[in-house]
Amino acid sequence: MSELLIENAVVCDPIQGINCEKMDLCIKDGKIVESVSSNAKVIDAEGRLTMAGGFDGHTHSAGKINVGRSMNPNDARRNLVPGLSGFEPHTEKTRAQVGYNTPNTYAIGYRYAKLGYTTICEAAMPPLTARHTHEEFKEIPILDKMGLTLFGSNWQVMEYIRDKEPEKLAAYIAWGLKASRGYGIKIVNAGGGEAWGWGKNVSGLYDPVPNFDVTPAEILLGLGEANEKLGLPHSVHVHCNNLGHPGNYKTTIETMKLFEKVKPRCNRQSLHVTHVQFNAYAGTSWRDFETGAPMIADYVNGVNHLTFDLGQLIFGPAVTMTADGPVEYANSRMLKEKWSNQDVELEDASGVVPLVYSPKSFVNAVQWAIGIELALLVKDPWKVMFTTDSPNGGSFVNYPEAYTYLMSEKKRQEIISGFPEMALGRMVLPGLDRELSFYELATMTRSTQSRIYSRPEKGNLAVGADADIAIYDILPDAIDPSVEHEKVKKAFSATAYTIKGGTIVVKGGNIENTPMGRTYWVNAKVPSDIESAMHEDLDVKFQKYYTVSKSNYMVEDAYVPKPVEIATEGF
Amino acid sequence: MQIITLSLKAQNKIPIVADTVNPDNFAGKTEDEIKAVQVWYGNMQCPLSELFNVKVEGKDSAENTKIVINGDASRVKRIGQGMSTGEIEINGNVDMHCGSNMKGGKITINGDADSWLGCEMKGGEIILNGNGGYYVGGGYRGEACGMKGGKITVNGNVRDFLGEHMCGGEIHVLGNAGLLPAILNNGGTIIIEGSTEMPASEMKKGTVIIKGKVKDLLPSYVEEGTEEVDGVLYQRFAGDVNVSGKGMLLMKQCESH
Repeated sequence: MSELLIENAVVCDPIQGINCEKMDLCIKDGKIVESVSSNAKVIDAEGRLTMAGGFDGHTHSAGKINVGRSMNPNDARRNLVPGLSGFEPHTEKTRAQVGYNTPNTYAIGYRYAKLGYTTICEAAMPPLTARHTHEEFKEIPILDKMGLTLFGSNWQVMEYIRDKEPEKLAAYIAWGLKASRGYGIKIVNAGGGEAWGWGKNVSGLYDPVPNFDVTPAEILLGLGEANEKLGLPHSVHVHCNNLGHPGNYKTTIETMKLFEKVKPRCNRQSLHVTHVQFNAYAGTSWRDFETGAPMIADYVNGVNHLTFDLGQLIFGPAVTMTADGPVEYANSRMLKEKWSNQDVELEDASGVVPLVYSPKSFVNAVQWAIGIELALLVKDPWKVMFTTDSPNGGSFVNYPEAYTYLMSEKKRQEIISGFPEMALGRMVLPGLDRELSFYELATMTRSTQSRIYSRPEKGNLAVGADADIAIYDILPDAIDPSVEHEKVKKAFSATAYTIKGGTIVVKGGNIENTPMGRTYWVNAKVPSDIESAMHEDLDVKFQKYYTVSKSNYMVEDAYVPKPVEIATEGF
Repeated sequence: MQIITLSLKAQNKIPIVADTVNPDNFAGKTEDEIKAVQVWYGNMQCPLSELFNVKVEGKDSAENTKIVINGDASRVKRIGQGMSTGEIEINGNVDMHCGSNMKGGKITINGDADSWLGCEMKGGEIILNGNGGYYVGGGYRGEACGMKGGKITVNGNVRDFLGEHMCGGEIHVLGNAGLLPAILNNGGTIIIEGSTEMPASEMKKGTVIIKGKVKDLLPSYVEEGTEEVDGVLYQRFAGDVNVSGKGMLLMKQCESH
């Protein structure tokens, strides 16, 4: 039985309402407990900032990222953030690391741990390729993982919605989550993946999807209702239609409004909208393109049924990867960049395009501002999850850099002063003086995630929570993050200690241990008669259309070595 | 002037990765310090003195430092990688990636060079007195730019993909070039005195002059009359139209199937 005592920690834990208070933390067998015996190993935090382990609720770290690796062998040489990217030879405790936007699996585990993160959610997993995603999960050390399963352009889903069979739809979702060992429902450009199979797209919520006689709005609502019917721990996780197009903020708000009528069965939001930066564009073309963040923030401030994440941009090279096939085609043509495209049989599409965000480009400058505007204009940090949609908006290794954008107006002004004149009139950021506190930052990087994903053992340091802890080399009383942003960035780039499940994994910025993390998945129970009726339909799909048989489709237990099964009762 | 002479002790089959061998790294160092410089030998690192006899004369700044490498260095890779000044003279053959990412200074090779000579070079000069391999002045896999500046002169022949993805600088080949020179070019100048095949495919910008025979000119080039360069008249072509390219291809004679 391992015991650990952390003394003199200045704890910042928004879930418990603790705002930088000095206290001791007791850990036993991987959990936070009331007290420990005198045999416990002692760490003196010396008054340093202590938070629960970070939780990245939307990242691309397994699956499509492998296509990104193949397309960008040059990424293996990039070393833009010293100590957190590029090539690092193996040590006694770590394997070799390479890459910046598309690091190898080991590097993903080590680098997240260095930033104080202990849990990640891979935000796009087509069921057909879920095995591969789990194979990569197995090779990402330290972190706890979960994956969201793609259902937004799935034939079986669209047919059940068209035929008005919500119970069979819920049964299919339950089976799909089990088959892919997934945690929740992800919808990307609802219906657009199927349209893209015919070289088309859907432009808004009410375009019919070719051959299926359903609209994106019907798909979104159908899946939203199924999500609640099954009582899933996370709401539907939506990448809106029209991503990346000027004027799309209207579609985003329409999508948000659509979910006002969906009543969540658990104590959480009924909709999570992801990487909203890419969906908060006003104007009618790239010429008169401007921020739509104020309109979206206005709406979000007035409602309580949704949460969102940023998709903050980071200047420099990025690799976009998404199940939104048509947007990737458009990106590649517009930017004359490399393009990879995939048709995932009956389930979805996807694409990968590398690109470079430059502060000299007025469009990129405005995009950069929109992410920050969203975080600052939305008053309640419990609705905001911090992300860069890594590596779409930029690699996760830049999170400390991005924190300084949120915490320091001075830092923002420094960057804005280098923007082209044309960009300045298109954003509202120069007029915003809000600066986030450590408390608000902790909310956006761990506590909000705990609530959004209904994982009470994550993102907080209450008794009974997982002993996932990050101790940063910052004395909260002795630092002014609005001025000393370089110090903040340095401290968040390499923790003094990262503790994962009671094991010290990072000490002084170096990897100390590399335990295997857990994989969370949801097993939703549905009535057996509905389940068998659904399987009759599904058998036809497999016989007629799939290139694999149903028996070869399921992710087997061997692919998930440390599973955590979350059981729910449907209907 | 500081002159460092490295003589290979024995012929090696296992590759030596000598990316630490450049004037910037050696300047001002004593003989013992240079002997201790680490290089990769297969999968392990070892001091330079295990593989080379080291002789150092004088002590000076990087600008006035010359490295002379004697012996058959055809399994010694990455000599002069990233160098910004000074001079390297190689009296023998050299392995891949010599002068890669070079920013300044001069490398002279009195032998043959293997592939990727001067890849992603940004400045300086390379003179190759023997033959070159593939991808002379090219770019790393996946990278958008190969050579960006500087000059490579090859007195012998080169193999395929000369100046692939070139974005600037100049390559002058006195002999023949293999297939697809100037492929994917986006700037810079390539002059080939000898013959070549299928030049300048997917070229967007830049100038390619071929003085010998061209076999299989790509159909995606449009004839635009003639152009005189240094008193010699060439046929002038523009392309590659497949990629809306504005590159200029000058040549004297064309052979097609």
